[in-house]
Amino acid sequence: MRRKVKLRYLLIFILPSLGLYSLFVIYPIIGSLVISFYKWPGVGPMTFIGFDNFRSLFVGYFSSQLWNAFYHNIIFFFFTSILELGLGFFIALIIASNIKGGNYFKTIVYIPNMIPMVLVGFLWGLFLNPQIGFINEFLKIIGLGSLAQPWLGSMSLAFPTVIAVNIWRNLGFYVLVLLAAIINVPNELLEAAYIDGASAWNVVWKIIFPLSFATFRTLLLLLFIWSFNVFDIVYALEGAQAGPSGATDVLGTLFYRTAFGGLGSGATGMGLGAAVTVFIFAIIFPVSIIYVYSVEKRSSS
Amino acid sequence: MLRLNYTQKLFAYLLLIIYAVIIIFPFFVMIIDSFKTMSDLYLRPFSLPTSWIYQNYITAWETANIGTGYINSMIIAFSSVVIVVILSSMLAYAISRFRFPFYRQLFIYSLLGLALPANLAVIPIYILMNRLHLINTLLGLIIIYSSTGISFSTFLFKNFIDAVPLEIEESAKIDGASDLRIYGSIVLPLIKPAISVVAIVNFVGIWNDFFYPLIFINSQSKFTITLSVLTMFQGEYTTSWSLLFAGLSLSIIPMIIIFVSFSKQFIAGITQGAIK
Repeated sequence: MRRKVKLRYLLIFILPSLGLYSLFVIYPIIGSLVISFYKWPGVGPMTFIGFDNFRSLFVGYFSSQLWNAFYHNIIFFFFTSILELGLGFFIALIIASNIKGGNYFKTIVYIPNMIPMVLVGFLWGLFLNPQIGFINEFLKIIGLGSLAQPWLGSMSLAFPTVIAVNIWRNLGFYVLVLLAAIINVPNELLEAAYIDGASAWNVVWKIIFPLSFATFRTLLLLLFIWSFNVFDIVYALEGAQAGPSGATDVLGTLFYRTAFGGLGSGATGMGLGAAVTVFIFAIIFPVSIIYVYSVEKRSSS
Repeated sequence: MLRLNYTQKLFAYLLLIIYAVIIIFPFFVMIIDSFKTMSDLYLRPFSLPTSWIYQNYITAWETANIGTGYINSMIIAFSSVVIVVILSSMLAYAISRFRFPFYRQLFIYSLLGLALPANLAVIPIYILMNRLHLINTLLGLIIIYSSTGISFSTFLFKNFIDAVPLEIEESAKIDGASDLRIYGSIVLPLIKPAISVVAIVNFVGIWNDFFYPLIFINSQSKFTITLSVLTMFQGEYTTSWSLLFAGLSLSIIPMIIIFVSFSKQFIAGITQGAIK
C-alpha cells in the first residue's frame, strides 16, 4: 500500500532529481526544436527564419548530405541488428550449453565493451592502416596478400569496416543479455523435450528462441535508437568529415560538423544543427515511446 | 540446459576459441608494438620486440597527460555516480511508496531519458552551460552525467524497491520515524545490491563517454582520459605508432584488469541493467 506523505517530504524526494533531469535531459530536446527555427551561428543574436533550416535540410543545398547520412544510419541499423543479434544468440547458446568453461568465455567476450568506443576506433584505425597495419600484414603472412585492402580509405569498404569494428566492440553485450534470457528458460521444458527425443536444433527453435523473443524485441528497439545516435566510432576511424568523401557519414557526424565542426561541412550553424537533431528525434520518437511503455508495463506488473 | 553431442561440442569449442582469439589478439599486438622501435614495428609486426623500449610508456604518459586524464575522469565519474545514486534512489522511493497524484505519469516521464539520445540535444545544453559559466569545467560534466543517469537508475531502483517488503517501514512509521529517516536508515541498506549495479553501469558509461567532453572541455588540464588519448592522435606523434600504442595501452589495460578481476559483479550489473 502506498502511504500518505507530507507535501514537504514529497518535494524533498522528487524535486532535486526532477529538476536536474528536466533541465538537462527534457528541456534540451524541446529547446532543440525551438532553435531549429532560428538562424544562429553560435554567438550573437538569433534570427527567426521559420522552416528555412528544414527546407535547406530536406530539399535545399544540404539535402544530399542529409540523405547520404540517413542512408548510412539505416544500413548501420540493418547490419548491426542482424549480425549482433544473430551472432550474439549463437554464441550465447554455445556458452549456455553443456560445454565447460562457459564462465571464462563470458568474461572474455565482454572485454572489448569495457573500452571507450572512441579508443576502440583509434586502435583499429592503426590496425587497419594499409601500409603497416597488422590486418594487411597478417593477410600477407598467411598467403592472402591479394585480399589486403585500404580498408578505411576505400569508398566501398569503409562503411562495412566501420560496422565490423563496431561489432567487434559491442557483440559481447548482446551475448550476455541473450545468454541471460536463455538461462531464464525453465529447464523442465528442455528436459521434457529431450525425453520426447527432440534434437538440439528443435530445442533451440521451438523452445529457447520463442521464450527469448521478448529480449530480442527489446534489443531491437534499443539497436534502432542507438543506431541513429552513432558518433564515436565514425569520428575515431574516419574523422569528423566521415571520409572518404562522406562514405561513412552518419547523422551524428553530420550534426557535429554542422553545429560545432566549423569549416568543411558546407554550412554551419546551431540552427541547422538543431534541425538535424529534430529530424533524428522524429525518426526515433515512435520507437522510444514503444520502448518506454513496454519498460513501464513490465516494471508495474 | 542445451545438450550438444560430441561433434557439436568440438565445433562449439573451435568457434569459441576463434572468437576469443579475435578478441584478444588485437590487445596482444597493441602491447608488443607499444614496446618496439618504429623500424621494429614496421619490419616485424608479429614478433616480440628485439629490444624492449620502456621509454615509450614514459613519453606517452607525459605527452598525452594520461595521469591528468585519469584523475579528471575519476573525479567526474565518481562524483556523478554518488549524485545519481542519491537522487535517483530518492525519486524511485517516492514513486514506489508515496501516495500522490500522477505518480505513474511521473514514472513514465522519468523513463523518457532511456530512449532519447540526450547527446544529440547538446545545443541547448551548450547554451545553458554557457550561461551558467560551466563550459570547460569538470562540474559542468558532472551535472550533465548526473542528469542523464537519472532515467536508468530510477528505473532500476524502483523495480528493486517494489520488491522490498513494506512491514519494516510501516512499523518505523508508527514509531514516528520521518520519511527521510526511513529512507536513509532502512531502505538504503536494503537496496545495496541495486546501488552497486547502478554505480557500475553509470561509472562505465561515464568513463567511456567521449562526446560531452569533446564538446565542453577545451583546456588540457581538464581533459578526460578519452580526450587525452585524442590529443596524441591529432598531434605531432601521429606517425610514432609505438607511442600511440603505449598511450592506448595505458588508457585501456587498467580498465580491462579491473573488469577481469570483478567480472562477476560487472556481468551481473550489465545483464540486470540491460534486460530491464
